[in-house]
Amino acid sequence: MIERPPNVADLLINWARENSLWPMFFGLSCCFVEEAVTFTARYDMARFGAEVLRPSPRQADLLITAGTIFKKIAPVILRLYEQMAEPRWVISMGSCSNSGGMFDAYAVVQGINQILPVDVYIPGCPPRPESVLESLVTLQKKIRAKERPSRAIFNLAGGTQGTTGPVLVDEVTKSRDPRGPGMEGIPIRGTAATPPEFWQNRSELMWAPPANRIVFTLAENELAHALTGRFGAAVRPEPHPADMPSFEVDRERVTDVLRFLKHEAAPRFRRLEDLTAVDESARQDRRGRPDYTLVYHLTAYDPPTRLRLKVPLHGADPVAPSATGIWPSAGWYEREAYDLMGVRFEGHPDLRRILMPDEWQGHPLRKGTPGRATEMAPYTLADARRNQPRDAALTARGTDGRERLILNVGPHHVSTHGLIRYIVTLEGEEIVGMDIDIGYHHRCQEKIGERQTWHQFIPYTNRVDYLAGSCNDMSYVMAVETLAGIKVPERAQVIRVLLCELFRLSNHLVWFSTYAHDLGAMAPNFYAFREREMIMDIVELITGGRLHPAWFRLGGVAADLPEGWKQAVDDFVRIFPKALDEYETLTRHNPIFKARSRGVGRLSLEDAIDWGVTGPNLRACGLEWDLRKAFPYSMYDQFDFEIPTATAGDCYARYLVRVEEMRQSLKIIRQAAANMPSGRYVSDQYRYVIPERADMLKDIESLIHHFINVTRGMKMPPGDAYAASEVPRGEQGYYVVSDGLGHPYRLRIRGPGFANVQTVPRIAAGETIADLISIFGSLDYILPDIDR
Amino acid sequence: MHPLSATPWYSPWESGLFSLAVFTAMVLVFIVAMLAASAWVGQRRPSQEKTRAYESGVIPTGSARLKYPVPFYLVAIFFLLFDIEGAFIFSWAVAFRELGWEGWLQMSFFIVLLLAGLAYVWKKGGLAWGPTRKKA
Repeated sequence: MIERPPNVADLLINWARENSLWPMFFGLSCCFVEEAVTFTARYDMARFGAEVLRPSPRQADLLITAGTIFKKIAPVILRLYEQMAEPRWVISMGSCSNSGGMFDAYAVVQGINQILPVDVYIPGCPPRPESVLESLVTLQKKIRAKERPSRAIFNLAGGTQGTTGPVLVDEVTKSRDPRGPGMEGIPIRGTAATPPEFWQNRSELMWAPPANRIVFTLAENELAHALTGRFGAAVRPEPHPADMPSFEVDRERVTDVLRFLKHEAAPRFRRLEDLTAVDESARQDRRGRPDYTLVYHLTAYDPPTRLRLKVPLHGADPVAPSATGIWPSAGWYEREAYDLMGVRFEGHPDLRRILMPDEWQGHPLRKGTPGRATEMAPYTLADARRNQPRDAALTARGTDGRERLILNVGPHHVSTHGLIRYIVTLEGEEIVGMDIDIGYHHRCQEKIGERQTWHQFIPYTNRVDYLAGSCNDMSYVMAVETLAGIKVPERAQVIRVLLCELFRLSNHLVWFSTYAHDLGAMAPNFYAFREREMIMDIVELITGGRLHPAWFRLGGVAADLPEGWKQAVDDFVRIFPKALDEYETLTRHNPIFKARSRGVGRLSLEDAIDWGVTGPNLRACGLEWDLRKAFPYSMYDQFDFEIPTATAGDCYARYLVRVEEMRQSLKIIRQAAANMPSGRYVSDQYRYVIPERADMLKDIESLIHHFINVTRGMKMPPGDAYAASEVPRGEQGYYVVSDGLGHPYRLRIRGPGFANVQTVPRIAAGETIADLISIFGSLDYILPDIDR
Repeated sequence: MHPLSATPWYSPWESGLFSLAVFTAMVLVFIVAMLAASAWVGQRRPSQEKTRAYESGVIPTGSARLKYPVPFYLVAIFFLLFDIEGAFIFSWAVAFRELGWEGWLQMSFFIVLLLAGLAYVWKKGGLAWGPTRKKA
């Protein structure tokens, strides 16, 4: 069909429309951070005729979907699109939104174009802010060149306006081949690299030295004696753990053992660090193995000690006793184990799905269930219409059969800082009950870990907490290095510290500006992002990436520091303290800010410990506990810094702790830059690490290791290890289980947000709905780290 | 001093008033024209989703028309009561000298009565309308 040329009315209407686009953001994940940066000072989106991004569909005609489209959230996106004014346009931002990107995973829709028509795609993972501006210009060009709105405007037949592109149907009008389009004629060779279907596994032919072995301290030995003395054969110490004392406990006695460890043991293990399950059915050697293993990690504060309990479970649908009576925080952990692994917990007050939508069939983390979206039925427009989020009335708390207002805050709400849904029951303004619906951001990271080689998983770690960048890598590489016993050179350790602290600053700056924004102050947003961009520039100079550097490697980092890094860091360190003081005067002495945060959202220290709260939120309750000091890693014990604490436990205390943490981070950065050790940037244990390029080009041994490690991946000794690091939001832990293959057998992520957000109903009960926003902001959580 | 104009100031032919009238008429015509144009040109494509209330992207639960506790309402009523009674005190203050000691005595009694009422309301918790967490 030949387009007729535009008439004067077309030109006029198009001119008006293209210069007054009203974008609405649908921020799903990492991409949204870059989208949000687009309207801050450096990029200033308003120059392009598209003013401040709107959160509501009523005021918008351009939808920008930024991030991963989850099956649980797709119906919401569709609804908001349909609620927008017409004509309307859609920009799809980032690889995930375009095609599923690197998340070819069971809970992810492989492209927004399966449910919405799309005008402009922005490639990248995540795209830079400049590309958002470019996409706007591209859309303006498209409106100018392709649209003929006058006939429709004057109620005549014909004409074109808004998005006209078809909604694609997976497998029919779009390729769903994981290798990309154009491969249809070629059959897929081999099998997926995930047991139990994985055959011709080369790792079996390789040799690896045994896993790391620790020597118990005196206190740990005494603890082991106390446990075996009290519970006899029901508690069996593991012979050679790689990271911490580990015990196998009978299912019948586990509640008693947990209670003993929490209340009577020396030291007292007061925190349930993590609770998860492992499906043992796909082990290479099934002899002597149960069907499932339940894994508890416990933490003692004084002295800092960790401990692991493993509970063997048998049967196709295993049952275990609930630990909710001992730690209230077990509530969500057990629901997750039930949802993803199908382990039932007897005595759990509210055992139902937590991450997956209600209509989901099966338990995705079990071995043998499909991990890829492309192995499952295509997600269609009809699915998005049918599978609505659960009606709030079904889970609302505190109604007591009376007529009360049930309000959904989220999943798409400005103040929820991501896709999370609080179902709030209100008596007037006061919150009398709350249920939290999570899982709108479940990116299946743990399942993906089982199909990536040990190195290949590193790009995924960055996306677990997308505002903390390299800090995520730290926890993962530490866990794997602990298991394999890899020694990291000093220079690499300090480079890691430098990067982590830069990201801590960058994260806290985003938190600072968004929290001020939540409480009604717009200006800090524009200021704080100026310095954050400076940090991003340094990160880009060093790593080449912005949000997701993926720059740590097992045994070190990807490359040495580039020329000019010190100058850039020094410049930043020089100007930042003054800038921070300046921003702080905007808030700290502001009467509105104080009234909205002081005495609001109080959390007691006992509650914080019981609920497994970590990070600045815990320190704001008065406990001086920071993994960088408690379990020093990566040479943090060589740095001079303090742990800021506060005692009130309210929003203002959390604010004070974070702001002081920024100053301490700066101190660490200054020291790291001044005393950067010389030497290698990556370990020379080439069995496990990717060799330095110069070596790889020079000698055959390194070349072979390089080839093996980047293709099929190195063999990891069988065993398991847990390591946690202090990321900006709290303690993020990785529990890796190796079955002696080239990829993890099970990879478990303990996100700080999961435990921190579980306390919100407790913090918020009895507060007003307006203070709820202040509480969200002060907790500083992020969704990919809660739902993973 | 210039002499007064022969024409009355309200004459419609007085230049300032005439231009104002023309301006008003133009504004009205412009407004009507805009409304009419957008009514004619604007497309209406109502759908179930567009008419639905926006509640963070999910289907709202229950009705928004429910018995809604308004604790502030009580405070407002108390304010109104005391405010009106304030009017008596003002009127007494104006006639303070004329009314003499007798008036002073009567008004003192009235004020004491008011204060007693305020204390009663305070004690009963009629003024506490914040969330329970703050009350604790």
